Amino acid sequence: MAGLAASFGRGAMTNHFNDYINTDVFLVIGSNSAETHPMAMKWINEARNKKGAKLIVVDPRLTKTAAHADIFVRHRPGTDIPFLLGIMNYAIENELYHHEYLVKYTNASYIVKPEFGFKDGLFSGAKLDNGVFTYDKNTWQFEDDGKTIKKDPTLQHPNCVFQLLKKHVSRYDIKTVSEITGVPEKVYRKVCETFAATGARDKSGNIIYAMGITQHTYGTQNVRAIAMLQLLLGNIGKPGGGVNAQRGESNVQGSTDLAMLSHLLPGYLGVPNATKHTNLQDYIEKETPASGYWKNKPKFLVSLLKAFYGDNATKENDFCFDYLPKVDGRDHSHMGFFQDMYDGKVKGLIAWGQNPAVGGPGAAFEREAMKKLDWMVVVDLFETETAAFWHAPNVDPGEVQTECFLLPAAFSFEKEGTVTNSGRWIQYRYKAVNPPGEAKSDTWIADRLFKEIRRLYREQGGAFPEPILAMDWNYDKPGHEEPDIAKIALEINGYRVGENRALDSFGKLKDDGSTACGMWIYTGYWAVDQELGVPNCQRRSTEDSGLGTYLKWAFSWPLNRRILYNRCSADEHGKPWDESRALFRWQDGRWVGHDVPDFNAKVVPEVSAETPFIMLPKGHGRLFANNLVDGPFPEHYEPMESPVTNRLSKQQNTPCAAVFKGQWADLAKVGDAKYPYVATTHRVVEHYQSGAVTRNNPSLVEVCPWMYVSISEELAREKGIRPGDEVWIETARGRIKALAQVSPVVKPLKVNGKKVEVVGLPWHWGYQGIAMGATANDLTPAVGDGNTKIPEYKAFLCNIRKVQGV
Amino acid sequence: MTIGKLNFKMTPARKVLLFMAALTLVLIVYRLVIGLRPFTNLNNDWPWGLWIAVDLSAVALAGGGYSLTLMAHILNIRKFKVVARRAMLVSLLTYIFVLLVLFVEIGRWYNFWRPFVSWGHHSPLFEVFVCISAYTLVQFVEFTEVATEKVATNWHKFLKKIMPVVVIIAAILPFGHQASLGAIYLATIDRMHGLWATTMIPWLFLISSFFVGPAVVTLETLAGGRIFNHKVSIDVLRSLIRVSGWLMIAYLVLKIGDVASRGVLPQAFSGSFEGNMFLLEMVAGVIVPIVICFSPLSNTKGGLAAFGLLTSAGVVLNRVNVVFTSLVDFLGNSYSPSWGEWAISIGALAIIALAYLFIMENFNFAGHDKHQTAS
Amino acid sequence: MAKGVLVDLTKCIGCKGCQTACKQWNDLPATIPDFDNNLTYPADTDAYNYTTVLHRVVEKEDGQETLRFAKRQCMHCQEPTCVTVCFSRALVKSPEGAIVYDEEKCVGCRYCIIACPFQVPKYEWNDALKPVVSKCQFCFDPRGKHDRIGHGMEPACVNACPSRALKFGDRDELLKEARQRISSDSKYVNHIYGEKEAGGTNWLYISDVPFEKLGFRTDVSQTPLPYYVHDYLKWTPTVFLGGGALFAALHFYTKRRNEVARAVEKEEVAE
Repeated sequence: MAGLAASFGRGAMTNHFNDYINTDVFLVIGSNSAETHPMAMKWINEARNKKGAKLIVVDPRLTKTAAHADIFVRHRPGTDIPFLLGIMNYAIENELYHHEYLVKYTNASYIVKPEFGFKDGLFSGAKLDNGVFTYDKNTWQFEDDGKTIKKDPTLQHPNCVFQLLKKHVSRYDIKTVSEITGVPEKVYRKVCETFAATGARDKSGNIIYAMGITQHTYGTQNVRAIAMLQLLLGNIGKPGGGVNAQRGESNVQGSTDLAMLSHLLPGYLGVPNATKHTNLQDYIEKETPASGYWKNKPKFLVSLLKAFYGDNATKENDFCFDYLPKVDGRDHSHMGFFQDMYDGKVKGLIAWGQNPAVGGPGAAFEREAMKKLDWMVVVDLFETETAAFWHAPNVDPGEVQTECFLLPAAFSFEKEGTVTNSGRWIQYRYKAVNPPGEAKSDTWIADRLFKEIRRLYREQGGAFPEPILAMDWNYDKPGHEEPDIAKIALEINGYRVGENRALDSFGKLKDDGSTACGMWIYTGYWAVDQELGVPNCQRRSTEDSGLGTYLKWAFSWPLNRRILYNRCSADEHGKPWDESRALFRWQDGRWVGHDVPDFNAKVVPEVSAETPFIMLPKGHGRLFANNLVDGPFPEHYEPMESPVTNRLSKQQNTPCAAVFKGQWADLAKVGDAKYPYVATTHRVVEHYQSGAVTRNNPSLVEVCPWMYVSISEELAREKGIRPGDEVWIETARGRIKALAQVSPVVKPLKVNGKKVEVVGLPWHWGYQGIAMGATANDLTPAVGDGNTKIPEYKAFLCNIRKVQGV
Repeated sequence: MTIGKLNFKMTPARKVLLFMAALTLVLIVYRLVIGLRPFTNLNNDWPWGLWIAVDLSAVALAGGGYSLTLMAHILNIRKFKVVARRAMLVSLLTYIFVLLVLFVEIGRWYNFWRPFVSWGHHSPLFEVFVCISAYTLVQFVEFTEVATEKVATNWHKFLKKIMPVVVIIAAILPFGHQASLGAIYLATIDRMHGLWATTMIPWLFLISSFFVGPAVVTLETLAGGRIFNHKVSIDVLRSLIRVSGWLMIAYLVLKIGDVASRGVLPQAFSGSFEGNMFLLEMVAGVIVPIVICFSPLSNTKGGLAAFGLLTSAGVVLNRVNVVFTSLVDFLGNSYSPSWGEWAISIGALAIIALAYLFIMENFNFAGHDKHQTAS
Repeated sequence: MAKGVLVDLTKCIGCKGCQTACKQWNDLPATIPDFDNNLTYPADTDAYNYTTVLHRVVEKEDGQETLRFAKRQCMHCQEPTCVTVCFSRALVKSPEGAIVYDEEKCVGCRYCIIACPFQVPKYEWNDALKPVVSKCQFCFDPRGKHDRIGHGMEPACVNACPSRALKFGDRDELLKEARQRISSDSKYVNHIYGEKEAGGTNWLYISDVPFEKLGFRTDVSQTPLPYYVHDYLKWTPTVFLGGGALFAALHFYTKRRNEVARAVEKEEVAE
């Protein structure tokens, strides 16, 4: 998501699932839609069946998605960047990119400072302080004349972004890419030809990705590469185009929007820093850009504070800004947090619908860390592995001092509320059945928990009780046990203080305390649709508003826009690039179209064309992004564990990777003979995440009961392994047992002339539930992306051998 | 051991049989209570196994009942009347054996009566079921006609009176079910090995059951003659097997003609498992007995016994080939009978053997036909 | 009008949604199947699974291996062998073309299992006293609680399919659609599985790989097997009535002949 935000301004799927029917060529990379997003696959197949769209699938494994691909490309885990940069190189060399789009809507023409450079795998500004690598980004800036950035619309200036990009990607020729990725040149050339052809103005290319792209030490740069390729081909903002991130859980978009991450407040407002932001004014001054839509940030933050603290938030007290939790610059992401837990710095844990004992990287280490806790509360449907860590196999409960609580929670169909899908649709769901036994909805649990904590603070005091006591918390529904979902929804949506009506646009939010809004990007989702008489997120009209936009079906943030950056669907004068896919057209002095404009529709097209990416300060899509920690362009580095040395530079790994201490971060050497095979983790359609729910569901267990490892027939022969044999999978961090699936569709790759076996491990199993099995994440390394700290789940080294003496 | 007019001599061999019979009854109850698995090794690939093969073979071997009824009572060939009664007895006991095994074989045994009220008349199995039930009943009437010579004698006169009708029914019914047993496998014809996959199968089953009848009767007469010291002239038996012999020639011609006309004759000589089994069935079970039948060997007890044994074994092998050999290529080899399946099959035979010994000792099944002696 | 389902294997993504929907709708218990190297669970239909999605590795025309998925269940034959051979009418064909099983009438003889040309019905071996023959009912259960098509709804599996690989409708219409899809896209093999197999089935399959590569039986008799059975059984009345009359006549004729012969013998002896 960080890669998307850096490129386009928002960390979300640009288009939506229904829009796939408008696509000409799909490039699915690091995503297995058929298994993890079957409904997405439906639309992919619709496009293929109805208009002959082509499907390219790039994956280390022949997945169920790949089974239906027109072109299937088997590449080595962790080599997405060379794969994507090579396509860019091909498009540039053959002039297949969308020139007009590049000039008008991207920063291709910006002139970068002459000091900028790239050498030996590192960008200019590299520095090493106390063993910590960082980039000084001064040389990554654009040249300006004090007011505006210098540009060259001809794209010829040697230091313009386009020329720099051209130079950067020129090293990724077909032969080189083939050697790094293991993809035969012929196949790779076919992919380049097919996808680069969508640079034509009347063609739409759609790149779909998921965890296979993001869960790497350079996951953000992987996304960047995708975003840049799409900008190059002019595929952003178009129907059937876009960068479509298919999220890892049904409502993970919703939870990200609502600030699941340690560094964000709801609506992608940064958490204030304890030392950097001393007061509200300070925060606003330092964090509000001068241009772009984010210049409204103060309105969103103040409205958020009003939602949090109600009447207690006044102009005089900085709207209780001081009560917000602050970050201290240390790593509080998943791995950082568990490192602290292991070091005894974390006393308590509430694992709420999360199962790190199976899902975390180096899960065995995380279970060890849990033993250091004083207390743990698990809120879940079943006794998950996390909840049961104290009586896991090989754990003596007598030696675990942690006090554990398990709160039974209701399933999503046992409660009411909204779910936000990958395509940003906020859809209201009604309760289907009552939760069993004592299980309660999450809102009920949160409500009671908060009230009890507040009571204790009120009665017993404590350190800094004010943030709790000042909190505006009133969601009771008289006569009902459950909190009032409508009150919560209204607060998230936003309202004028004193009124009880949902605002229909975040444009109406104010920074003077007259509005309250829990999460500005959702504003309008609870406003009532006048025609249908229900809140927008409850709409269920199946009438197509044109090109599959279905504007009266649910609500799509922001402001019901279905395709983001949709100004880019037409040229600077408002003429659609492709008449058959005319999302908007400037006609008779106004815009007509099928979507909600993601631009200022009140001005003439030539003006809105100046800033089609409204969330970015300069308004242009970023081919060159200077706000990430690890470089303005993506560059190929090997995964932290790799069988080969970096073919392109001396820099073996990304210098900015997040690395942790302890056994969970132990790594195999490059080309380690003890761990000769590349392993990757994946999901299967039958199970969900850590399997906490699905491995407790008999009919889902039945359709996939056994943990397995997929190996090639060649490897099986070498190792004397027959189908169904129990095998050890060993890494530098530990070993697990699984049953061998010997599959003819698993094939070794040829990398740099060397044979590389790739094995696949589903990660859904643990020691609880009906179907138990080894946890693949006991093997994954605790290394992560420098920008997002997302763990490297997708590429590591292992050995496989048959379990003897069974 | 004597009860009223009835005696049963106890010998060590009979004690073993009694013990086996008792054990079998316990096993049968056990099987009915615990279900088909794990008692049997039957599975979804092989839903039918040993018991079906045993039943198909047994019904064929009981063919002597109707073939002799036909010859002795319908065609009134006098010299065969001497063996008609014992043929009928062996047939009746075999059918009881078959019904017993079938009852154990069906999964919902308490539902065995359903077809009587819910007629699946389009099924060959329905015809088999109805005919076998009716035929067993008819044979039982025939049996009581003989038995009432000794016990409940006041019924004898009445039974004797209805005998003409009874024998006609007894002669015709097996034509239905002997053929229908073959017709059962018309439903699997597209999965069977070519050597057996023929629409002629009902008629082949019928003919073979007819000619195996005299073979079994011959064997039984020879064996029974030893045990009970009866004498039946070799001449009668030779005439009897000659009937079989002619039919076997017809059967052989029909079978080879059928196989040849479907173009699968070369498969018999392909050296495959199925080919070899087919050759064994045809050579040892049909051709060799024909040779014996029409050679001077048929004048000796040894020759008669060899004919009886080979013909019976040949027909059993044919049924086994239909049930197993013809389908093994399609269904795989995931089945071999469990000890329980063997135990009940063999144990049920013990029960029947006991009944046979008891009846032969107490009733006049070995002696001359009353019709004949009376006249 | 016979109802049917058209299964387009080019659209199936192997999600097993149909399989779990079937299980839920029919209240079937779940088991833990053995490991299967194809990841088909269970490896075949069984007593508690009316349907299973076969996962198969197939070789494409270019020699590359890929995966294909095929839902397997009762084909609902137009001339069902199982119905023909069932001697207690526990299996019947509904007017909609569904082949439906009635546990109450079943004797447990398993003839249907051996008779099915597609090896679909399965037996509940582990149930000691009330074992059933198990197979897809086409969601037809007019007297029970599992009915769907009797209420004009599509079967649970079709309803659950996210990829539109399954289409429910009139068989004739589906057949037309299948032909149309095959003729409009060269990727399909020119074979509608179920059009002629076993004399025609209500479930129809189209595919881009030959069916034998997917493990489908392609040597199924195109003549419905019940025809063979019927061809035989039609002789039954003739055999019984004709044979009975013949035997009666013979019986009395030969008896009389013997009596005459005996009388002559006596006379001769007397003389």
